[in-house]
Amino acid sequence: MNAKNSTKPEAGPEGFAFPPLWPHTVLAPGLAGAAVLATLLTPPAVDVALALVAGAICIGSALTLARRIRRGEGELREMDLRLLHSQKLAAIGELSSGIAHEINNPLAIITQELDLAREITADCQGLSDEDLSDARDSLREIAKQVDRCRQITHKLLNFARKMEPVLQEEALEQVIEDMALLVEKEAQGRGVAIARDYAPDLPHVRTDVPLLRQVILNLLTNALHATPPGGTITLLTRRADGQVSIAVRDTGCGIAPENMEKIFDPFFTTKEPGKGTGLGLSVSHGIVARLGGSLAATSRPGQGATFTVTLPL
Amino acid sequence: MADPIRVCIVDDEERFRDTLAKLLSRHGFSVRTAGGGQEALELLAQAPSDVIVLDVKMPGLSGEQALPLLRAACPEAEVLVLTGHASVDIASAMIAGGAADYLLKPCPTEELEGAIRAVYDRRQATRPR
Repeated sequence: MNAKNSTKPEAGPEGFAFPPLWPHTVLAPGLAGAAVLATLLTPPAVDVALALVAGAICIGSALTLARRIRRGEGELREMDLRLLHSQKLAAIGELSSGIAHEINNPLAIITQELDLAREITADCQGLSDEDLSDARDSLREIAKQVDRCRQITHKLLNFARKMEPVLQEEALEQVIEDMALLVEKEAQGRGVAIARDYAPDLPHVRTDVPLLRQVILNLLTNALHATPPGGTITLLTRRADGQVSIAVRDTGCGIAPENMEKIFDPFFTTKEPGKGTGLGLSVSHGIVARLGGSLAATSRPGQGATFTVTLPL
Repeated sequence: MADPIRVCIVDDEERFRDTLAKLLSRHGFSVRTAGGGQEALELLAQAPSDVIVLDVKMPGLSGEQALPLLRAACPEAEVLVLTGHASVDIASAMIAGGAADYLLKPCPTEELEGAIRAVYDRRQATRPR
């Protein structure tokens, strides 16, 4: 969690300003007390009016305080859940790193054996053509599956990477444009347009550029895979409250409400088996958190999704 | 014909280094293998290599510990780190310690061969004549 402690006591954990408490804790009891004291000095008809005013003030304040407490409790519970979730992600990161290391070694042996077997079967005599073709097909398939495992373990290692980001000043628009150009050709091929809506005069950001590139590329490729021909991916940048945000908005199928909670979990994917590792968004989430920012998603099913990276300036 | 590139594979996984040696030999390399850092030092004391393919996590002398010793024992050899235990920290430490490149297991033989040839060619190009 990267919520910074604000020096202002009235600021909430996300930086939202709450109305002050003192009208309810000081002013309302003070007014009620003053009304009670005033009843001692005033005629009975005025007493009743003062008692009603004092009562109304007390009831109003009590209701306001109760509502604020309920809201506070709700927010606390939500923060607890988010903290638990990020601890869970960190624990999975540790575990995955260990598993990835252990699996890479047997995968390396399988890879070498495969390469050798392929070479030997390439000039094999005495076997029927069909058998030989089957054997070669099997070897090809094993190689394909090893490569699939390789992608998973390498991404897992990336996920678990605990490297401190190397910060450098860079024009945000440039970082985004570099990645947009990378996918633009593929997007054109699929009939998907990439639109830009960059805020003018954005200051340079101080961030780990290769890591940020990785995040933007991941969001862009996800958007591309989700958007049907004729759709548009829009890249937006905005600046507000000492933060800068980068949004990748697509006009694709959107995210089903039941999946919204799971999209940042490692291995969660809605793609067919073998088509996606389910690690892209969890890796991106981890990277953005390490850069001191946050990654959030909003979506209406059938109307596309927007992923927003918010970074401190 | 040019002399074959002399490769020394240092890896504690016996099957891995033997099959890799077999493959590289078939592709025209001259290959020797060692099961750990100490054994590699003994091999290099007998004859130099052009490229050392070095694992990181090994019992006894680890790749990290062996790197400066191997470079001292055979300054003309380029060291190519090949490991399943990758971390950016270890990679940058190994590169800072003089390794020429860093590859992550599993690595297709073709890719590894390309990397061996690339570091060898680079060394040939920059070597004082």
